[in-house]
Amino acid sequence: MSNSLIARMQSLAILLTTVGILIVFQMARVQASSGGKVLLNYAERNLVARTIQLVPERGNIYDRYGHLLAGNKLMYELGLDLSSVENPHTIATTLNSLLGMDYAEVLGYASTKYIKGEKEYIRFSSPVDPEVIGELEKRMKEYQDQPVRKRLFGKSEPRPSLEGLVWQPRMIRTYPEGSLASNVIGIYPFLRWEDAVPAGGIEQEYNNLLSGTPARFVIPYDPNQLREIPTVSPGGSVILTIDIQLQAAAEEILDKAVASTQSDSGTIIVLDTRNGEVLAMATSPRINLNEYWKIKELPPNTPFNRAVNVTYEPGSVFKTITMAIALHLGRVTPDTTFVDTGSFQAGALPVQNWDGRAYGQVTMTQCMQYSLNVCLAYVAVEKIGAADYYHYLKEFGIGQRSRIDLAGEAVYPLRVPGDERWSDSDLARNSFGQALSVAPIQIASAISAIANDGKMMAPHVVKATIENGQQRDKIPMLVNTPISAEAARTLTNMLAATVESESYEAAHVEGYKVAGKTGTAEIPTEEGYTSSLTNASFVGWGPADDPRILVYVWMEKPKTEKWGSIVASPVFSKMFSKAAYLLNIPPDDVRRSLYGQ
Amino acid sequence: MSQRWIQAYKEAPWRVQVKRIALFLSALIGIAIIAGLYLNITAQTAAAGVEARKLEKQRDELMRRNSDLKTQLGSMSSRAEMERRARELGYEPVHPDQLEYMIIEGYPGRDTVRLASPPSPLQTSRPLLKPDYTQSLGEWLMNKMASLPGREGKE
Repeated sequence: MSNSLIARMQSLAILLTTVGILIVFQMARVQASSGGKVLLNYAERNLVARTIQLVPERGNIYDRYGHLLAGNKLMYELGLDLSSVENPHTIATTLNSLLGMDYAEVLGYASTKYIKGEKEYIRFSSPVDPEVIGELEKRMKEYQDQPVRKRLFGKSEPRPSLEGLVWQPRMIRTYPEGSLASNVIGIYPFLRWEDAVPAGGIEQEYNNLLSGTPARFVIPYDPNQLREIPTVSPGGSVILTIDIQLQAAAEEILDKAVASTQSDSGTIIVLDTRNGEVLAMATSPRINLNEYWKIKELPPNTPFNRAVNVTYEPGSVFKTITMAIALHLGRVTPDTTFVDTGSFQAGALPVQNWDGRAYGQVTMTQCMQYSLNVCLAYVAVEKIGAADYYHYLKEFGIGQRSRIDLAGEAVYPLRVPGDERWSDSDLARNSFGQALSVAPIQIASAISAIANDGKMMAPHVVKATIENGQQRDKIPMLVNTPISAEAARTLTNMLAATVESESYEAAHVEGYKVAGKTGTAEIPTEEGYTSSLTNASFVGWGPADDPRILVYVWMEKPKTEKWGSIVASPVFSKMFSKAAYLLNIPPDDVRRSLYGQ
Repeated sequence: MSQRWIQAYKEAPWRVQVKRIALFLSALIGIAIIAGLYLNITAQTAAAGVEARKLEKQRDELMRRNSDLKTQLGSMSSRAEMERRARELGYEPVHPDQLEYMIIEGYPGRDTVRLASPPSPLQTSRPLLKPDYTQSLGEWLMNKMASLPGREGKE
């Protein structure tokens, strides 16, 4: 080998070695520099692993027998990736023909200039059906296959293209039953996508359970590094105590009653007295939850669920509580007599009967039958006394939340002796349901204790929850036992006798002996009870010898008649009759013959 | 002083060169084999990664489809729809007078729905990858040693 060749090879070796050393040096320099760290972070973020956020699917809501009340359906979010829009006219024409979207509006969106970081993506607000997406995919492929038409001179013609139109699957909240039980279920504004905040009902109260927990995962691209497949548990589901057949019947009966009595609104609650389960809770007005935005068409400040979100003076239905306390304390019996002179002075304001009449000597049963304010004021003031009376009102949960598992329960504090605004006349007026305010669910829950041997169960609309594939049944909760079983049964018998009287004819339920009480409450204004409008109510439970259900009716400001006995009693009768049939409660004679009672 | 002559042989330069070339080529072939293996494994890994992502996407699609079908079923069995179909089939609402009650021995009545099993006290979780894929050679040896017959129960 010649020396010159060796010298050349040595030079080459030195050169290559130097280059190698320089490369290694540069690598070390880059790695040590701040830019290198940024590069390393970028590589780790984008080349080593990807970060994804998984949002769980919202849980379902079912009725007590498994009928789906709220679920999710597959729809698509449609949007524009402005960086890849090729032909805005094709996009506008296609969306106009397929979805009826305004051509000019879509053209304006599609022609928007792409600005990185500022204008990259435009989302169309309405979700799109999978069938439409199928048609879009078909058209997109057709356009992609079309050859570019070239003019003889000049530029080629822009080909039709849907490039830039993008879509991604979304699970959209849907309510198969539409407006049925909408006041219980609540609103989930699904068109707000990720920013949706539920309002009212179960959707709000159980939002944490239904929505589940979103999770963020870092997934390495290297499958060897993959330790788990990222997954997120779907949101929990809720099974309600509501029976949709009963709920539908309640809503139908209520809507007819509201229309025929020209009431502002109405409420029906059907409670299982034995465990506090709400079997139906119908209020008006309602909305189709699939078109929740129409709630704006209702008058401003319309309560979402009057059974829970509103308090009112219940009127004479409250006499059941007063009489229950007196019977429990042994201060009266059904046959205790009272001479009604037509007026009772308590504090500054005299109490009079609803018709202004004096009824003379009456028994306690007759006091309830004729709904005598004077008699009940006497019982509260003279027989019970303020200390015991308010103690027992608290035991009945008056002035407190009923603990129902629905959002936005309204509560009006009970004025008691010692409060600045309490006066002597309050005790007398409270005895027949004036000068206090309760939500329908609160008074229904309190009176349910009378129908359940004195035991007051917490009213609830959730029967069970399902989370992580496990169903947890809700155990009925005993809130309190404000009165004895004996007092409860005595009062039930008194009120059963009351309903059987002629004055309660509209409340009769064919085949069933039921206990009940009407209520007609004047509506207080700032000047006192000056309004001619009333709140008409009825509370009833049965069968009287073995109560299973309680029905509470409230008709707000009826215009055709103002009396609860005329407006609310027939509603109770229809509702109880329907409930007995749907709940398989045989008529009294059939029950006795079947069970030998 | 006597001079001692030692016979010595010097390897021919071309043999030295051949040896070096052979050594270099051996190293090169070794590196090429390792690189080939690495490339093969990397390709397999990449393919597995793509497959995992495809399966992940498929799973998500199936979950969405499943939920959608449940909702479709809910819509088809909704109260209004069932009532409409019942009327089409000639059924009509029963009047309370037409009802006949009877006691059926052993039938507890209509029960509320149970859509999932009740909570279980035992929660088991299964690891995604078998230990064979994650443990080191040392750990594997230790495990094997520990599971040798005759060692258990002696202490």
